[in-house]
Amino acid sequence: MSKGAEGYTRALFLFELFKDAMQAEHTLRKAGFNIKTGAPPPEVRTGCDLAISVPSQDVNAAEKVLKENDIPILDVVFTFEEELPPLQLSQLVKRVDFGNYLMIRVGNMKLTFEKKSGVIVNISGGGCPDIPLLGLKMIGKPLDKAPQPNEVGYTLCAYTLQKAYEHAVEAWKKVKK
Amino acid sequence: MLLLTGTLPIEEKTLLVGTIKFDGKSLYIGNKVFGNEMVSIGATAMMAAAATTCETLQLEPPLAAVAGDLGQGDGSTLLYTYLTEDASTTGASTITMHYILPIRKGFMEFIEMLDYWEKRPFMIADAGSMLIAKATGSCKKFDLFTPDAGEICFLADPEAGHPAYVKSMFFAIDTTDVPYLIQEAYKYNNAPRYLLVKGPTDFIVDEGKIIYTISEPNIPVLEPIGGTGDTITGILSALIGGGYDPIKACLIAARANRLAGQLANPTPATRVAEIINYIGKAVKQVIDSL
Repeated sequence: MSKGAEGYTRALFLFELFKDAMQAEHTLRKAGFNIKTGAPPPEVRTGCDLAISVPSQDVNAAEKVLKENDIPILDVVFTFEEELPPLQLSQLVKRVDFGNYLMIRVGNMKLTFEKKSGVIVNISGGGCPDIPLLGLKMIGKPLDKAPQPNEVGYTLCAYTLQKAYEHAVEAWKKVKK
Repeated sequence: MLLLTGTLPIEEKTLLVGTIKFDGKSLYIGNKVFGNEMVSIGATAMMAAAATTCETLQLEPPLAAVAGDLGQGDGSTLLYTYLTEDASTTGASTITMHYILPIRKGFMEFIEMLDYWEKRPFMIADAGSMLIAKATGSCKKFDLFTPDAGEICFLADPEAGHPAYVKSMFFAIDTTDVPYLIQEAYKYNNAPRYLLVKGPTDFIVDEGKIIYTISEPNIPVLEPIGGTGDTITGILSALIGGGYDPIKACLIAARANRLAGQLANPTPATRVAEIINYIGKAVKQVIDSL
C-alpha cells in the first residue's frame, strides 16, 4: 500500500469512516507523529471525510501504529501539499433566539433546545445516515442527559452536530445562571 | 413513476423496496410499517410528504428503496448497489436521492450506469446525496438540488468537500446574500440545471437565473424543525414524478410547504409529522390559486 514515496513531502492516510480518522488522529498524535488533518484532495474526496497526513518518511511507521490499533485504512496517497484545507467549524456558528427556545447552528447542523428545561426539541440538517439516528436518540431529552453525537455517530455530520451540542450546553449554562 | 431512496436509522441492514403510503400517522413501505416517531426523521419525512402529495393529486404512489444504516455505510452500500444494478427495471422517470453515506465508488458506479438507462430519469438530490455529488464533481449529472442555507454556501465554495470545510466568508452570508452564493455555485459547475434554495426566502433557479423568490407566508419557527426541508423535497419530487414542469413544481412545493407550516401553527418544538398532515390541503390550495 505505502510505496513509491520518494520525492513526496507528505503521506495522506484516508479512511472509509470519519470516526476512524478521528481515532487515527488521536492515536498518531499520542505516538508522537508530526500530523496534520484536513480535507482529502478532490480526486479521492467523498465529502464526509478527513485525511491525516504525516511526513512521507514516517509513512511505514505510522501505518504500523494504525494497524496495531486496529484502525482500518482505506488508502494511502502521497502529496507535495504541506497543508490540507482545514475544518472550519469554530468559525461556522450562528445562534437564533426564538424566545423560549434557542437554536444553535454549526455549519449545516442545527440543534434547538428549550431554555428553561434544556430539553432538545429539534435537530435539523446534515446528510449522513447517523443524523436521523441521533435525532431519535437526542430529541426529547435534556442536554445533560442526552447521548452526545460523538458517542453515537460515525460521520463528519455527527461531528458537526457534536460542536452544535457543545455550544448548546455552554449557552444553557449561561441561561441557567 | 417516482423512486425515492434513502437510508433509515434502523438496525435491519436489508434492502426494502415497496410502494409508499402515509395514513397520517404511520408510513408504509410495502408491508413494513414505520411509526409516527420515524416519520419525523430524514428520508421518511420526505417520503411521507411525497406520498401525501401523490394521494391528494391522484398521482401514482411513489416507490421507495430504503435500507437501515446507523452511519457505518452498510445500508448505503446496499442502496448504491440497488440503484446501479436493479433500479432501471422500475422504469422510474424521476429519482430522488436523500440521506446516504457518501461512498465514492458506489455512487460513481450508479452515476455512470445512468447513461445506459433507456430513458434517463430526472435526478433530484438532497442531504448526503448532494454532498457526494459535489465531492465527486457530478453535480451536472443531476437535474435539481434542494439546498438549505448551510448547503448553498457549501455548493458556492469551490474548495469545500463538506459543509464543515466551508470558508467563513461564505457561511457569513448564507442567508443574506443567497444570489451571490447561487452565482458562485453555477460558476464552478457545482449546481445542476435547477436549484430550489430553501431558507427565509426560497429561491427557484434555472441555469443560474433566479426565476422566483418566495417569502410568504413567513414562518421563522419552521427553520429549527427537523424535516421541513425534507418535506419540500418530497412535495416537488411527487409533482415532477407526476409530470409537472420542474419550475412549477418547485414553486408549488415552496408555497405549499410554507402554507402547511402556517396551518400547523408550529413552535420550535413542533415535529414535522404534525406539519405533514397539512400538506395535502396546502398543495391543493396552492394549485387552485395558480
